[in-house]
Amino acid sequence: MQIYRVFHRFAEYLATTLALLGGGVLFGLIVLTCVSILGRALLPLDLGFGPIRGVYDLTELAIAVVIFAFLPWAQLRETHARVDLFRWVIPSRINHALDLVFNATMTLVVAVGSYRLYLGMVDKIAYGETTLIAQIPVWYGYAASLIGAVGFFLIALFCTLRAVRRLMGDGAPDE
Amino acid sequence: MSNFELALWSFPVLLVFVFLRMPIALAMICVGVTGNYLVTGTPAMTLNQLKTLTYGTFSNYSFSIIPLFLFMGQCATLSGMSAALFKVAESFLGHRRGGVAMSAIGACAGFGAICGSSLATAATMGQVALPEMRRCGYPDSLSTGALAAGGTLGILIPPSVILVIYAILAEQNIAKLFLAAFIPGILAALGYMIAISIWVRLFPNAAQTSPRVPWSQRLVLLGRLWPVIVIFVLVIGGIYSGLFTPTEAAAVGAAGTFFAALFGGQMSWTRMKDTILITAGSSAMIFMIILGAGIYNNFLSLTQLPQEAATWVGMQGFSPWSVLAVVLVMYLLFGCVMDSVSMVLLTVPIIFPLMAGLDFAMSPQDFGLWFGILVLIVVEVGLITPPVGLNLFIINALAKTAPISATYRGALPFVVTDMIRVIILAVFPAITLWLV
Repeated sequence: MQIYRVFHRFAEYLATTLALLGGGVLFGLIVLTCVSILGRALLPLDLGFGPIRGVYDLTELAIAVVIFAFLPWAQLRETHARVDLFRWVIPSRINHALDLVFNATMTLVVAVGSYRLYLGMVDKIAYGETTLIAQIPVWYGYAASLIGAVGFFLIALFCTLRAVRRLMGDGAPDE
Repeated sequence: MSNFELALWSFPVLLVFVFLRMPIALAMICVGVTGNYLVTGTPAMTLNQLKTLTYGTFSNYSFSIIPLFLFMGQCATLSGMSAALFKVAESFLGHRRGGVAMSAIGACAGFGAICGSSLATAATMGQVALPEMRRCGYPDSLSTGALAAGGTLGILIPPSVILVIYAILAEQNIAKLFLAAFIPGILAALGYMIAISIWVRLFPNAAQTSPRVPWSQRLVLLGRLWPVIVIFVLVIGGIYSGLFTPTEAAAVGAAGTFFAALFGGQMSWTRMKDTILITAGSSAMIFMIILGAGIYNNFLSLTQLPQEAATWVGMQGFSPWSVLAVVLVMYLLFGCVMDSVSMVLLTVPIIFPLMAGLDFAMSPQDFGLWFGILVLIVVEVGLITPPVGLNLFIINALAKTAPISATYRGALPFVVTDMIRVIILAVFPAITLWLV
């Protein structure tokens, strides 16, 4: 199964890259917020700079982008919360079969969700909606979020394939 | 089937999915979407909502605190502050009987002040304190139990991710909730220490104490904790004084612990990468549950279940206190099998209006704070109760040779002090509300 290994490598690379990019945006947001606070604190001194206008809008936009970028990693590493109470009661074959069903369902949900997100973006472009304070076009946020959403879909697809392999019992250990 | 019955049936269906190990978020999405479809007779509504729902949920200003706090906590684990805190606590308590275990609790409480997550607190303090307790001859049960319990101080002592989620769902003031959590958090630490001192008297063992440290030395060690104190004062003080919004405070705290890690000498590119990836995994998990719970609760409110349930309970003339007792016990039971974030997100939208409708002889604002702290404590107990107590697993894995049964046994005394504390705080709301 050479091709699976290629997929696996690609999935690892994609999810890690997106998560790190998301982390970069989060880091940028932290810096921006601190600068804005400093600006606000120094405002009375009249040094010519104040708080960053619309940091509120930017925060909202950035967090959405960050979370979308984080989702593929969570899917690949199976960090989603679940209840393991009956894990050892259910025979492992059935566990694997259920896992396949759930991964396939997740893929479907993510596919629909991402497509809807895209339609939402089309709407926002059509209406020319902007954020309240900084007047940033809202569709920017949607477009940047779509990157993570598409990544999430690809990773969910890969996870379904991985679940098939686990069910067939060849390789692909649980993470 | 009426809409109301549909909503009632959705609970067991959801639970079956969840117990079959479907990711909780996915289960809530599936049941919520199906429910919506059955109520409205068309998928159009859900599909239409989905265009803006995911982005709208993820781009919520209040929720933006969560990834920031998680990042802050992860950086805190690299700051070396856990070791410094443990040394200070040991210099004060180490010479007492059971003192090393008490020091671990004290250090956990200090770490909880810059970290909003229990798992990170348990894992970090475990790495520092477990070897020391081993060296001093503590039995596995006591050392792993104490650390698992100490880890829960991560969310009990503000900042706390669970409190942020509760504040948003129940529309409470985050600053006041953090303040209200303070005394209960200290009481928790004291309770755990008392449990340890009773344990070592009931079962005297070979555990050694460390030598008494002179005051001059203690103060020197204490002085090394300044980053923790500065960060805590900036974050909590900043929120409370209104200087920062909670999100800004979280960003400042994240920057603070990042610098502490950078200058504490434990930051490297690889560690930075791991920090981001761990933050990514837990942030994404929480936001997926927020999304799922939103969809599921949309469906429930469409069926009017929360309102009807609140009216029904109000009409039965139950004593408010017995309803409270039932609710708290239910949280405790669910906490044994479910993770705290899912539990709070799933239940608070239904339970909070129901409880707020009952007369506890206090203002709605006070009630919101007091009930939030009670919920926080009972869901946190779930982290140290078998069979699925995540803190127990983390500490047990760190201890390597300790059997899980020893850890289960070791956590029991601490669960007992948790129960006692819940009862005290429920009976005397003034303790929680004193600082607010």
